Amino acid sequence: MIFWKYNLMQQFMDLFAALGRAVLFLFHALLLMGAALLRPRLVIKQIYSIGVMSLLIIILSGGFVGAVLAFQGYETMVDFGATDALGIMVALALLRELGPVVGALLFAGRAGSALSAEIGLMRATEQLSAMEMMAVDPMARVIAPRLLGGMLAMPLLAAIFNVVGIYGGYLIGVEVLGVDRGSFWSQIQHGVEWGKDIGNSLIKSFIFGVVVTWIAVYNGYTAEPSPEGVGRATTLTVVLSSVIVLALDFVLTAIMFGG
Amino acid sequence: MHEPAVQLDGVSFSRGTRKIFANIDMRIATGKITAVMGPSGTGKTTLLRLIGGQLLPRQGTVRVFGQQVSTLRHAELYQLRKRMGMLFQSSALLTDLDVFENVAFPLRAHTKLTERLIRDIVLMKLEIVGLRGARRLRVEELSGGMARRVALARAIVLDPEMVLYDEPFVGLDPISMGAIVRALKTINEVLRITSVIVTHDVVEVVSIADEVFLLADGRIEGHGAPHALYDDSSPWVKQFMHGLADGPVPFHYPAPSLMNDFLEV
Repeated sequence: MIFWKYNLMQQFMDLFAALGRAVLFLFHALLLMGAALLRPRLVIKQIYSIGVMSLLIIILSGGFVGAVLAFQGYETMVDFGATDALGIMVALALLRELGPVVGALLFAGRAGSALSAEIGLMRATEQLSAMEMMAVDPMARVIAPRLLGGMLAMPLLAAIFNVVGIYGGYLIGVEVLGVDRGSFWSQIQHGVEWGKDIGNSLIKSFIFGVVVTWIAVYNGYTAEPSPEGVGRATTLTVVLSSVIVLALDFVLTAIMFGG
Repeated sequence: MHEPAVQLDGVSFSRGTRKIFANIDMRIATGKITAVMGPSGTGKTTLLRLIGGQLLPRQGTVRVFGQQVSTLRHAELYQLRKRMGMLFQSSALLTDLDVFENVAFPLRAHTKLTERLIRDIVLMKLEIVGLRGARRLRVEELSGGMARRVALARAIVLDPEMVLYDEPFVGLDPISMGAIVRALKTINEVLRITSVIVTHDVVEVVSIADEVFLLADGRIEGHGAPHALYDDSSPWVKQFMHGLADGPVPFHYPAPSLMNDFLEV
C-alpha cells in the first residue's frame, strides 16, 4: 500500500517536473522570438510548410463540416419553420467552436506531427548537436521560427476553415435545400458580432496554435534519438494536442461565453 | 612550449551506472595531430563531447584554449565553439540544405561576408575535399563517404584553431580514404590547426598522427608517438596496435559457456 502511494506520488512529481521543463522550454523559445524575426526568411519558410501545406486539408474539412451543419440544422429547424436562421446557426457554430477546434485538431494531425517528426529526426541524426557545435543555438534557429510560424498560421487556417465552412453551409442550405439566399446572408450579417464572435474565434485559434506548436516542437526536441523515439514523440504530439485543445476549449468557452 | 590546446585533469564521467572515464589526465598539443584510439564503446566520442562542452564531467576539469569548459556561460561556450570545428561520425549534415549551403551555414551564421566571398570560401573548402562539382547536390543524393567529405569541408570552413574528427575514415572507399588522410595532414600543416582524431583505423592514423592516446576501460592504456606504440611491451597496446585476435581484450561480450547456453531449455 505504502509502495503504491509512493509510486503514485513519484509519478505526479515526474509529471510536474516534465511540465516545468516544457514551460521553461516555451519561455526560452519566446525569448528568442525577436532573433527569429530578424531572420524573416526562416519564419516565412515555416509559415509555408506549417500553414500553406495544411491548406488543402483545412479547406476540404471546412467545406464538409459546413455542409453537414447545414443538413443537420435544416433537419431540426424545418419543423419549427426557422430555416431562415440556418445561416446564423452555421456561422456561429463555425466561428465560436468548430473553426478553432476542428482546425486545431487538423493542425495537430497535419502540421504538429510533421514538426515533431522533423525535429525528432534532426535530433536522431545529430543535426541539432552539429548546430550546437557550430555555435548556432538550435532553440533560436530551429524552435523559435517554427513556434512563431505555428502561432501565425493557426488563426489564418481557422479563419479560412470558417469562411469555407460557411460557404459549404450556403451551398447545401441555399442551393440544395432551398433556404432563402437573402435570409441566409442577412442573418449572418445581422447576428455575427465582430468582437464576441470573430474576435474570440481568432483568440481561441491563436491560443490553440501556440499550444499545439509548443507541444509539437517540445516533443520533437526531447525525443529519444531513435526511430521508436521519433514515432512516440509524433504520436504523443497528436494525442496530447487533441486532448488539451478540447479541454482548453471548454475553459475558453466558459470564459468567453459563460455569461 | 605552447600551452596545450586541450587539457583534461582528473576527469571522470559515467552514463548511468556505467563508468566511461575514471580519473583520466590528457594533454593535447597545440598545432599537432593527436589521435584517440580504442575499441568500440570506450568513450572516444564522449571525449570529443566533453571537449566541445556538450557533456560535462562528473569530476575533474576540461580546459580548452585555457578556458575551463564547465564554468563557461552559454554565450562564452558558443564563442569558444566558434574556434573549433567538429566532424560528426554521422556527418550530421542539415537535410533541408544542399551541399553548398551546408558548408556555407557557419559562414552565414557567424560572419557578414558578401555573397561573393562566401561563394569563394565554400568552393575552396569543397575543392579540398574534392566535391566542388557536387555543390548543388542535395544531402540525400550523397553517398556516406561524400557526406563525410562535405561535413569535413563544413568543419573547416571558419578556419578554426582546432578540429575534432569523430571517425573520419569510416565508410570511405580507398581512394577517398587516401585523399582525406592527405587532406587532414595538409590542413593541419598549412593552417596550423590542432587536430583531434577519434578513430580505430590504426594504419591511417599512424601515417599522420604526431601523438596517440589509447583508451580502454575508462583509462589511458597507452600514450606516445605512433611508431613507439607499435613496439610497446604492454600486452593490451600490442594487441590493439597489431589487431591481434588473442590478448587481454576479449572479442566476446561476457557470457556463460556456449555449452551451458545450448543445454539450457
